[in-house]
Amino acid sequence: MLSRVREMRERKGWSQGELAERLEVSRQTVNAIETGKYDPSLPLAFRIARLFGKPIESIFLPDGE
Amino acid sequence: MTMSINKAAMRFLLAGVVLLGLAAALPHLAPWPVPDFVLGLLYGVAVGCLLGALIRWRMPEPCDTATPALRRRYLREFLPAMALYVVALLLSVWLLKRIDHVALRTLVALLPVPPVAFAVRAMMRYIRDADELQRRIEVEALAIATACVSLGYLAAGFLQTAKVIDVPSGAAMIWVFPLVCLAYGLAKAAVSRRYA
Repeated sequence: MLSRVREMRERKGWSQGELAERLEVSRQTVNAIETGKYDPSLPLAFRIARLFGKPIESIFLPDGE
Repeated sequence: MTMSINKAAMRFLLAGVVLLGLAAALPHLAPWPVPDFVLGLLYGVAVGCLLGALIRWRMPEPCDTATPALRRRYLREFLPAMALYVVALLLSVWLLKRIDHVALRTLVALLPVPPVAFAVRAMMRYIRDADELQRRIEVEALAIATACVSLGYLAAGFLQTAKVIDVPSGAAMIWVFPLVCLAYGLAKAAVSRRYA
């Protein structure tokens, strides 16, 4: 799954560590989501969407889109 | 914790090499006979440090895999338990040479077990409270470790039955847990890198 988490994080001026702290996950998890190596669970995806104030489908895109 | 992966691994490597050198040189340099126990301890800790260097080199930074609060709680629970284990083990070995009564020998022999149980509890609490990706890595690493050690013991069991090897039963039983821990460490380093 592709994600726009990095783009949105950088727009907010946050480091991966800062985003990890806000989401209460590890920095490795944030990095893995941003690089597409890990697809977050639904609750975490909702938390990310709520944090950025965007709908989930605008942040996470199926491969190929 | 601000050490980079390489620095921490280098320190483990240096400690391992120094201890190995000390263990090898001590019998030749010491003016008195060095007890086997001391040499065994030096070699054991040296090998542990070298393995620690390998695992630490391949693993992500601890500060990247857990929140500071979770790391602090884990260290607060794990380290005293392991320290107590070392003390209990040494005490047990010393007392067993001086006790004959079976019931007492049973209690003394089992002295190291409760501290290890507390260390395992600390690990389980860490896994339970880690985030979803860390839990996936931990569980996958534990599954790989358990499978590998089980397979190894099965193979060794067949070899023992065929009288190809002859491993003392006490040693075989004692080494299950340390081998699972070692395999888990190596597996976790490998699994973590998939997500790096």
